[in-house]
Amino acid sequence: MSGWALRLFWVFAKEARDHARDRRSLMLALIYPLLGPLLVAGGLALAGKTLSADWRARAVEVPAVGLEHAPALAAHLAQHNIRATPAPPDPREAVRAGRAPVVLVIPQSAQGRERFEADVITNLGRVDNLRATARLTEVVRLYNEDRAAARARAAGLPDDYARTVTLNNVNVAQDANIAVFFYNMVPPLVIFMIFLGGVHLAVDTTVGERERGSLEPLLLAPVERGVLLAGKALATLAFTAVTTAVNLFAFKGFMELAAAGSARLVEPPDWTVFAWIFVLSIPLMAIAVALQMSIAVVTRSMKEAQIYLGLLPLAPALPGMVMIFSPLTLTTANAAVPVLGQLLMITKLVAGQGVDLVPALGASVTTLAAAAGIFALAARGFTREKMFVLG
Amino acid sequence: MIVMERLMKRFGSVRALEDVSLTAGDGRVTGLIGPNGAGKTTAFRIVYGLLAPDGGRAEVDGVDVSASRMAAQRRLGVLPDVRGLYPRLTAREHIRYFGRLHGSGGRALEADIDDLVDRLGMADFADRPARGFSRGQELKVALGRALVHRPHNLILDEPTNGLDVMSARAVRDLILDMKARGHCILISSHIMSEVAALCDDLVIVAGGRVAASGAPDALCAQTGAADLEEAFVRALVHAGEGAS
Repeated sequence: MSGWALRLFWVFAKEARDHARDRRSLMLALIYPLLGPLLVAGGLALAGKTLSADWRARAVEVPAVGLEHAPALAAHLAQHNIRATPAPPDPREAVRAGRAPVVLVIPQSAQGRERFEADVITNLGRVDNLRATARLTEVVRLYNEDRAAARARAAGLPDDYARTVTLNNVNVAQDANIAVFFYNMVPPLVIFMIFLGGVHLAVDTTVGERERGSLEPLLLAPVERGVLLAGKALATLAFTAVTTAVNLFAFKGFMELAAAGSARLVEPPDWTVFAWIFVLSIPLMAIAVALQMSIAVVTRSMKEAQIYLGLLPLAPALPGMVMIFSPLTLTTANAAVPVLGQLLMITKLVAGQGVDLVPALGASVTTLAAAAGIFALAARGFTREKMFVLG
Repeated sequence: MIVMERLMKRFGSVRALEDVSLTAGDGRVTGLIGPNGAGKTTAFRIVYGLLAPDGGRAEVDGVDVSASRMAAQRRLGVLPDVRGLYPRLTAREHIRYFGRLHGSGGRALEADIDDLVDRLGMADFADRPARGFSRGQELKVALGRALVHRPHNLILDEPTNGLDVMSARAVRDLILDMKARGHCILISSHIMSEVAALCDDLVIVAGGRVAASGAPDALCAQTGAADLEEAFVRALVHAGEGAS
């Protein structure tokens, strides 16, 4: 090993050993990456539980006003497991305040009439109201169809005489989509963790060293400044890689456990996909570390660096969060955009679509080139006298 | 040998060094003394390659520091004013790290570390992490770190600052021992009795310039002072620093 390579190795080895003894670095590398997977797997388990239960068989309580004026409808609701309960005095206010999920209001004018109007008071701004509202409107729709068929029969007409379009809802992907919605959260969360994993090392080994006064003695050693910073960056990269591996391992493990709880959830991507995500993430780790280093060397204190670097993971993760709701298609052009290319490819991998080698290589080359450029700027910043002179 | 030749350094509008020259010879202890803010640490930082001078030059054993920073650093052992230890590394690991950065390794390095642990009296804390070390223990580790590559030239910035009597005496003995072995030693200190006891040559700086220089006795004679402290004060007054 040549002189500079050996010096690079010793700086890397020292930082890796030093931070392997640091509680904060270990927390960031080993504990934090478990939180995102736990959250996603928790949501998935809940969704699985909801799906596995036959919700049509479960009773739903619906507060109702004036149901005694429509006894046939009341009987139909009861038959379909909707239990009417006394409504609160001010139904609109009760629903708005969340004290009731929905209220069915039958006017007194419905008494003894075949046709009448009724109000369903609901607040669809609250997700938890959706199920009761959907169930009530579905059962009332069935009641209408039953009555229409009965009237048609009485008139000697076919049952479906009053029905223009018979809509059969065949949603084969319904259950899978719920799981996929959770799996789509993986790419932005993985990228968030990549940009967070090495933050403590990047700060502690640069501006932190300066604050402690240990940078000046270190710079007295005959080591090239670029090599010194590269050794520190390599240690940061190693911790970022460990963080990412733990993160991916946890995503796979926890999501598999969660999906195993329901036969109706599609299984998470297999281990090969997660291995490919790790490989595709290596250039991302490089650019994350380069950005962390370049920010850390120009800040004046650890506090200042922590503020900027705490915000850094949001920038690359935000497009991913947006893409959960508004997907972007991978093209050769956008694959070459650093970070975005990896995000799109990881998203494709998670969706089970695989990734072609050409865009993957293109994305890796452009991202690594950007990382090298940013690191060169950081190394330049590291030679500034202000970087290492206290006071 | 360490040479500073007409060093100049400015930080924005602040003139840290205007014109500082000195020669610290082998087998001698040279003291660079002056009030706070006189420019001592800035001059040291130029010699050990941390700062680039705006004017003048610094040499270590004939090696121009600006032109060959790393070559000059290999010939220098430095004890900075701020000891700057890594709290999670042991004393032995500190010395080993810096030995490796200087190109040492293997059994030779381990033997040198053992020797330093013995010479500096670090045996009882050599394998403990530096967090919680006393100032004396910190200083010993920093000295071990500065000496591990067997440098010919030493720069010691406030070497006994904050030490108890026994530790300060041990450091002074070490300096005299290194001097006897022919090393070039450049120190900075605010303790006049220590400067008088250790230094063969003195350079007094004030306001970034050399106010007076010479052997301690010669300085006393020049200023008509009975002791070195009085000579120091009179040199500063003469340079226009004493009134402030």
